[in-house]
Amino acid sequence: MDQVLIIDDSQINLTLIRALIIKQGGCEPIVFDRPLNALEWCRQHVPDLVIVDYMMPDMDGLSFIAAFRALHGRTEIPVLMITANDQKDVRYQALRGGANDFLTKPIDKFEFGARVGNMLALRAGQKYLANRAAELEEKVQERTQAIRDRERELIFRISRAAEFRDPETGAHIQRMAYYSEIIAQGLDLDEVSRRLLLEAAPMHDVGKIGIPDLILLKPGRLSPEEFEVMKRHAVLGYELLKDSGSGIMQAGAEIALSHHEKYDGSGYPKGLKGQQIPLFGRIVAVADVFDALTSSRPYKRAWTVEEACKMLEDGRGTHFDPLCVEAFFAGWDQVLEIKQRFRDEEIPEL
Amino acid sequence: MSPFVLDRPAVLERLGDDEDIMFMMLGMCCDDVENNCRELSEALVAADLEGLRRAAHTVKGTLASVSDDDGAALAFALEKQARAGELAGAEALLLALQARLRHVAGVLASVLASR
Repeated sequence: MDQVLIIDDSQINLTLIRALIIKQGGCEPIVFDRPLNALEWCRQHVPDLVIVDYMMPDMDGLSFIAAFRALHGRTEIPVLMITANDQKDVRYQALRGGANDFLTKPIDKFEFGARVGNMLALRAGQKYLANRAAELEEKVQERTQAIRDRERELIFRISRAAEFRDPETGAHIQRMAYYSEIIAQGLDLDEVSRRLLLEAAPMHDVGKIGIPDLILLKPGRLSPEEFEVMKRHAVLGYELLKDSGSGIMQAGAEIALSHHEKYDGSGYPKGLKGQQIPLFGRIVAVADVFDALTSSRPYKRAWTVEEACKMLEDGRGTHFDPLCVEAFFAGWDQVLEIKQRFRDEEIPEL
Repeated sequence: MSPFVLDRPAVLERLGDDEDIMFMMLGMCCDDVENNCRELSEALVAADLEGLRRAAHTVKGTLASVSDDDGAALAFALEKQARAGELAGAEALLLALQARLRHVAGVLASVLASR
C-alpha cells in the first residue's frame, strides 16, 4: 500500500484530502498539521507521495520541500504542493525547489485523482527501476562469481597439467601457494593482493609443459646444456599466460617469469636484481625453494626443516629478498601447520 | 455583496459527486467559523500582519471550498492588504469578512439540518 504524507495546517483541507486519498484506493494517508512534525516522521519513513500546503505556520511548503529533499534518499519522491490560483510566483519557486506538480485550492476531486494517480505511477516506476537494478546487480554478482569459480578451476587444471609431467605433486602446489600467502601477510600486503597471490602462485611452473620429458623427468643432474633448456620454462610460462584478460593469469605470468630471479642478480631469465624483481616473484622464490627442499623426490631425499631454514638464512640478500625471508620466519607456526595439512603421498626413496 | 446560496451541484461536482465528503466538509466549515473569526481579530489587535495574512488566506480557502466566490474575494482583499503591510482600512474589511463567514455558516447549518 502506498503511503501518502499529507501536511496542511487547515483541518478542513487535511480531512478532505485524507478522505480523497482513501477513496483513491491502495493508499494509506499519513496526516500532519505541523510541518516540523511531518519532517521528523520523514527522518524514519519514506513516503511514496507528499502532499504539502504552501502557507503554514512554523515552516511554509517551500521550506518543507527543501528540508525534505535534503534528507538522504528523498530526492526522487514525488511532491505535490497545494496552492491557490493567485500564487503563481509561489508555484515557480516550488518548481525550482523540487515540487513535481500542484494542486489548486479549492480542491477538485477529478484534478486531485488525476494528479495523485500520475505521481503514484511515477513512484511505482521509480520502485520498479530500483528493484530491477537490485535484481540485475544480484545477477551480475552471481555471474561474476560463476566466472571467478570457473577461472579458479581453470587455473587449478592448468597447474595440474604441468604437474602431471613433473615429479612434483599437487600438494607442493598448495603448500607453496599458502607459504606465499603467509609471506605476503608478513609483508602487510592487503587482502586483495594476498588473495591474488594465493590464486596465481600455483601457476609458477606451468611453463614446464613445454620442456621435453628427457630433461624434465631426468632423475640425475642436468648438464649445462640441459639446464639451459630447463630454464626456458620461466619464459614459456610467461608466454602462455601473459595475454590473458584475467588478473589472476597476468599475476601468474609475472610469477612464472620472475620466480627464478635471484636478489643479487644471478638468477634467470633476466638476471634482475633486488627491487627490479616483481614482489610476487621474490615471495614465490622463498616459498618454492623451501617446499622443494623439504619434499622427497624419486631422485632425492627431503631435507630436514632445519637444513632448509639454514639454506634460506644463507640465501638472505643473495638468493632471496631478506624481507621475504624474515616474513616467512615470522609466520613460522602457520608454515608448519600448512606443511602438516598438505602432506605428499609416500614416495619410496631411491 | 449578494447573499450566499450554496451551489450544491458545483461543490458536489468538484468532490466527484461524493455527498459524504461534501457534508463532512460543510460541517467542518461551520465548526471552524468562530475560530476563524477569533484568529482574524487577534491578529489585527496585535498588528500581527503575518498572522492576519495567514488567517485571511485560510478563510479564503474555506470560503472557496464551498464556492463562495464573493466571500473568497473579500478574504483575498484582506490577505493582500496584510501582505502589503497596510492596516488602514483593514478593520472594515475584517468586520465584513467576519459577517460573511457567520452568514455562510448559517446557510451551511441550514443545509446540514435539512439533510
